[in-house]
Amino acid sequence: MKLIRYQTSPLFSPAASYPGLRDEMDRLFDVAFPALSSLQRDGFFGDWQGEFPVDLYQDKDAFTVRAELPGFRKEDISAEVADGILTITAHQKTETKSAAKAPATATQERRVSRSISLPENLELEKIQAAYENGVLTVTLPKREEVKPKQIAIEVK
Amino acid sequence: MNTLAKKDPQALTQTAPRRAVVPLYNVEETADAFTVTAFVPGVDRSALETHVDGENLTVFARRTWTPPAEWTAVYRETPNADYRLALEIDHRVNREAIKAELTQGVLTLTLPKAEAVKPRRIEIKG
Repeated sequence: MKLIRYQTSPLFSPAASYPGLRDEMDRLFDVAFPALSSLQRDGFFGDWQGEFPVDLYQDKDAFTVRAELPGFRKEDISAEVADGILTITAHQKTETKSAAKAPATATQERRVSRSISLPENLELEKIQAAYENGVLTVTLPKREEVKPKQIAIEVK
Repeated sequence: MNTLAKKDPQALTQTAPRRAVVPLYNVEETADAFTVTAFVPGVDRSALETHVDGENLTVFARRTWTPPAEWTAVYRETPNADYRLALEIDHRVNREAIKAELTQGVLTLTLPKAEAVKPRRIEIKG
């Protein structure tokens, strides 16, 4: 499990450069150690335990988390917020159809989990989640700014 | 790395399409068919193309979702890349009967085996 620290500093905007660099590194690794990357791939479909890629966006009204979780059913995915941390968990057991296989490999189990620490100014009651095309989208609305109120003081 | 550029320099400079990555995929074989399973999260059914050309089976899947203009990315882990999977198929596959199915970001290709290569029992006379 990995915890993403949320950064509010405007100086911290790795979004523009980071994916490119990481892809480049991934590609270099794939070229240099093909056996290693194919091993990773083989493991992926077996009892896949681990993480999934997550994107974080924001606009003036909300934060949005997009998580790539292909091949799950809606009911297999859970998202919960506790102590300012959003945890997305997906768990699935698949029965393999072919009876020819050994019983040990008849069920495939996938369990993945990811935690993201959230900023403080969110309306936790209004969080929404949707799952489409294997991507889970969690929308976390920002709290309305507390507007200054005029209080009339009666002078007696 | 430069071999591609030398071979076909026009393809790289003229049409600069979005980068495509090979999706995670798996191939299984049963008595009747081969099954290819590929993870293509974020791809809509309409953005999926499967081509069979002789020995080449190509799957191209475009990520249809783009963030709205007013959204800013705070943290990104997924690439802005499409998926492209190119596989070679041999005479064992019945090309006419290839089926593709996309459910929640998982593409399942069923490549039935040609009748000629399916296991069959040969009766011995006499």
